[in-house]
Amino acid sequence: MKISIFRYDPERDSEGRMQDYEIEPEPHEAMLLDLILRLKGEDDTLTLRRSCREGVCGSDAININGRNGLACITPIRALGERAVLRPLPGFPVIRDLVVDMTQFFKQYVSIKPYVVDPGPMPDKERRQSPQARERLDGLYECILCACCTSMCPSYWWNPDKFVGPAGLLQAYRFLADSRDRDTKARLDDLDDVYRLFRCRTIMNCTEVCPKALAPSRAIERIRLMLAERAL
Amino acid sequence: MAAPPSRVVFLNLAQIRLPVGALTSILHRVSGVLLALAIPLVAWAFARSLANPEGFADIAAWLANPGVKVAAVLWIWALSHHLLAGVRHMLSDVDVGSRLWYARKSAYTVNIAAVLIAIAAAGAFW
Repeated sequence: MKISIFRYDPERDSEGRMQDYEIEPEPHEAMLLDLILRLKGEDDTLTLRRSCREGVCGSDAININGRNGLACITPIRALGERAVLRPLPGFPVIRDLVVDMTQFFKQYVSIKPYVVDPGPMPDKERRQSPQARERLDGLYECILCACCTSMCPSYWWNPDKFVGPAGLLQAYRFLADSRDRDTKARLDDLDDVYRLFRCRTIMNCTEVCPKALAPSRAIERIRLMLAERAL
Repeated sequence: MAAPPSRVVFLNLAQIRLPVGALTSILHRVSGVLLALAIPLVAWAFARSLANPEGFADIAAWLANPGVKVAAVLWIWALSHHLLAGVRHMLSDVDVGSRLWYARKSAYTVNIAAVLIAIAAAGAFW
């Protein structure tokens, strides 16, 4: 099969170019990442991020045939005879398939991704009922791969002002947490035309999430919390 | 570290596969712009058609022009798409049909229904 990969070396290139590789998958190779790593074995200038190789760390998020996904859990047989690989859209490219995620993590940090409770520290852990814990299902599984945020048009045009789907999913993960005591401040921070309301419910985020999560629904839940608070 | 403005960014919309929801969102904007631009003309034509029998006859004659008919069909498409997509949005905002499966179906429905309404309007015009 043919794999076409976006190549960019900031020291040599003024813009990106596509490089074609011919490669036949071998029987033990099941996922796209296996092929990319074999290509890297043959051409060590090819640069990408990867760590766990099994969809847990989220580091090999790239744009595969026009759609964001994790190379390590994209089956080769789903690609057909040709795969076009590019870096995540809208993120500055450092080299080849590696993008700069500084702005993405800045937005993530801005929603205070930790339980806030100004009360006294408990002797042991902060207790949570099984029912309250269940409300975090579909939220805590996010691996921050940025597939969603990098597919979001609202984020493309305002990466510095709009939190983006990944950050907002995490914002709701802590709003929904029974142990968190910071609901008012969290909602105050998000009640902004850009930070939350730049979302136009296009739902590209939910379309591409490799963990099948629904950032768009988390965003709606936050909007409903704001609406309920105002009524 | 802020990215210098010269940094290469991949953002070629022709090379990104946009899901149906994104297409619907783009058409929602396009139809909104068309409707806004058409307001002066539509308001003028509406007022004139109501002013007196001669005004009505003028506008009726004007609407018999093929170019005006095409524009009117386009306007009806824009109105239908914008209205349907807006209703879809409002329902989604109160968590009705906001699961991905339903959202995809409703996006296809909005896009197709607006075209069907425009075709029906074209049929009525010709």
